[in-house]
Amino acid sequence: MLHRRVYQFLIIYCLGILFLLLLKYSLGLSNYVIPSPLNLRTTFSEVVSRYFSDVLDTLSVAIIGQFLSIFVAFLIGILARKTTWFGSFVKVAAYNFQAYPIVALAPIIFILLGDGFLSRLLIAAMICYFPLLLSVLGIMSEPIEDIEHFYRTTGRMRWQLAIKIRAFENLNKLTTVISGSATLAMAGTIVAEFIAANTGIGYSIRIALYQSDLSKILVALFLIGITLSVYQGILEWAGIVAKKAWAAS
Amino acid sequence: MRIGCPDISFKYPKTDKYVFKDFSFQLSDAGFHALFGPSGVGKTSLGKMMAGLLSGFTGKIETHDIDRILYSYNLERLPGWSSIGNHLKKITRSSRANLADDLVTVFGLEKHMGSRFSQLSLGQQNRINLIRYLLQDFDLLIMDESLANVDEKTRMTIITTIKAMFPDRMFIYISHNVVEVSKFCKKILVCRGYGKDPAAMIITGQNLKTGEKPGKDALEGTMLEVMNAA
Amino acid sequence: MKTEKISSKKFVVLALLVFCFFFSAGSTHAAGDRLNYRLKWLFNASVAGDLYADVHGIFKSEGIAVTVKAGGPERDAIKELELGHAQFGVASADQVIRARDKGAPVVVIAQLFQINPLQWIYRSAAMSVDSLQDLRGKTLGITYGGNDETIMRTLLAKGGITEDDVNLFSVRYDYTPFYQNKVDLWPVYRNSQGIFISQKLQDAGEDVGFLIPSKFGVKFVANSVVTSERMLQENPDLVKRFLNALLLAWEEAMNPDNEQKTITTIAEFDKDSSPELIEQQLSITRMLIKPRKDLVIGTIDAAAWKQTEAIMLKQGQITAPVAIENFLKPGGQP
Repeated sequence: MLHRRVYQFLIIYCLGILFLLLLKYSLGLSNYVIPSPLNLRTTFSEVVSRYFSDVLDTLSVAIIGQFLSIFVAFLIGILARKTTWFGSFVKVAAYNFQAYPIVALAPIIFILLGDGFLSRLLIAAMICYFPLLLSVLGIMSEPIEDIEHFYRTTGRMRWQLAIKIRAFENLNKLTTVISGSATLAMAGTIVAEFIAANTGIGYSIRIALYQSDLSKILVALFLIGITLSVYQGILEWAGIVAKKAWAAS
Repeated sequence: MRIGCPDISFKYPKTDKYVFKDFSFQLSDAGFHALFGPSGVGKTSLGKMMAGLLSGFTGKIETHDIDRILYSYNLERLPGWSSIGNHLKKITRSSRANLADDLVTVFGLEKHMGSRFSQLSLGQQNRINLIRYLLQDFDLLIMDESLANVDEKTRMTIITTIKAMFPDRMFIYISHNVVEVSKFCKKILVCRGYGKDPAAMIITGQNLKTGEKPGKDALEGTMLEVMNAA
Repeated sequence: MKTEKISSKKFVVLALLVFCFFFSAGSTHAAGDRLNYRLKWLFNASVAGDLYADVHGIFKSEGIAVTVKAGGPERDAIKELELGHAQFGVASADQVIRARDKGAPVVVIAQLFQINPLQWIYRSAAMSVDSLQDLRGKTLGITYGGNDETIMRTLLAKGGITEDDVNLFSVRYDYTPFYQNKVDLWPVYRNSQGIFISQKLQDAGEDVGFLIPSKFGVKFVANSVVTSERMLQENPDLVKRFLNALLLAWEEAMNPDNEQKTITTIAEFDKDSSPELIEQQLSITRMLIKPRKDLVIGTIDAAAWKQTEAIMLKQGQITAPVAIENFLKPGGQP
């Protein structure tokens, strides 16, 4: 499945490049507007190692932010699953916050915390937190009646068991939302870097944009896409392994 | 042992239609009883009310010598992370291990103990669900279509085994099968539906045990009584 | 099956036509003969003449309707010329030379800034820069990848100074290192941050000086007016009229007698700057656009352009010489 994701990305990317080249040659645009394949190749060899380390830098922030976000979302989601005032408050707050463009807060966060690792981590975590929280809340507050009834009726129900049942029954949903949050975290970190940071692939894209260098932007997009495809493939595989391991225990 | 109610009334929230109005019934003695009636008459609702799983009705369910009531239904599932054998072990007291083994054999599930719940057929799923209830502490077990999708021969074996193995417990078997309830049940509470007078009738069933065969006329007579009452 | 094949072929052709319509490259006229003029940066005192031409009907008097559009870091006038989204634009020399290196059909019809506003501010009590040798041992702020890096490296090379003889400091948007005296020379645009930082230091009782690269013979040309080759060939009269109007407007805007009028014009567009600040910016802009009374605004300094190209070639910013002098078209002469 790792191969599948990478192939999918490569197909989409190549189609995108082909479209640009079609536009270039049909409209007679110069290499300044749309670079030629040779320009692309030259730029690729010039910036690939620098951009790749930028991508890994951004990805590491996104991954840590994502896992931090998953941890907190599960913690709050489990605590808030009951229909107490706390649970209702968390649900309403999460619905409202998740509609807000968190990246718009990026400049403020960078001003307050500086443009280091912590700011980018906070933004990455915040961006994927609310959708994760809503999913976890939804899963944890919805009883699986057909399974839980026996335990409740025989006095065997514990909160840990209820969570285990609901998590297991919604494992596909959880792995999907976790996999999706990887994309969110990465995209959000890149946008935040683009707006206000001085490191990471988002920053590099901003510089390339200021230099009006489409070649560099295309190289950056390629590296982001490949890296993200591999990461998502790993996440999916990890989800399957986790499910098998859980089921085997 | 006795369960009943004088004049309960119940309608679902935000509806005007009564499921029960001034409904009264009483079922006494340990044994295998039935709750019978056409679809939608309120058998499941009544079963849940008896088990304390449904509220919002006027009146009171009264019991005598019945402390623990369990309600089981045919759509229940076991958690998917464990084989049914492991699951059964976890919810069975060690003192009942032999009983568990006997039930598994009688219910025809000994070859499937290593399977997961989702790997069983519908009939097998209902059977394992019923087994785990039988291994718990209860005075009254309400079985709501608990033997759905089980073949007739196995159903007969299961019912007669339950009667033999648990003579001092009360069972209420919710079913649409007039032949089965007439053959095996001690008392058949027939729910006739809202608007009918009386709303419920108690018919005496043939209450056959293992190895017993019904008299043809007696069985037909019971069946007719049940059908007429419904 | 055959019907499906034909339909999908038609769809592809139609899609291509739609794309070509929207991306009709190099159209020399905007819709309804309204011309688009894309600036390099936001509306402020640096574009006084451009705004003056619009507000005071100077374009109109030449019989042309022009929409003056603000630039920004994500805008590129040269690309817009090629794609037909603009008919005239403002670009710096390095942008033009880089574009020509990549085959973009852009030509220069006027040079606005005679002196590059990109200079270095320093505390005059702590040092002076009478010769390039005064840079030895100093901490020099540069934006890696920016024009100031290019210019500073040229200055150092001209003075025979290596990187080991100075301390290069990577500059970001925060001026704190300069305020804290960690950096001796800080790159600024003389007519914007230069004013702001000077004021702050003067308020603290410190005087400032500016390292002006052109004084040491390093002329890196700044903002210039550009158009496409096609526009110049197909509509030379329109180009001439546009240029006449624009340069007339710049002369009027840079005329001290019109100062209040110009300030009011700029203030209409630059609502974030006070009139006092605009006045200061305008004064310095005047010095950079028209450093001598006898100089005609828009004069193209071909030698400075050739020097800029040479600097870029030496620093590997272009792959080969572009012979930029062939694409300088003063007065809009084809």
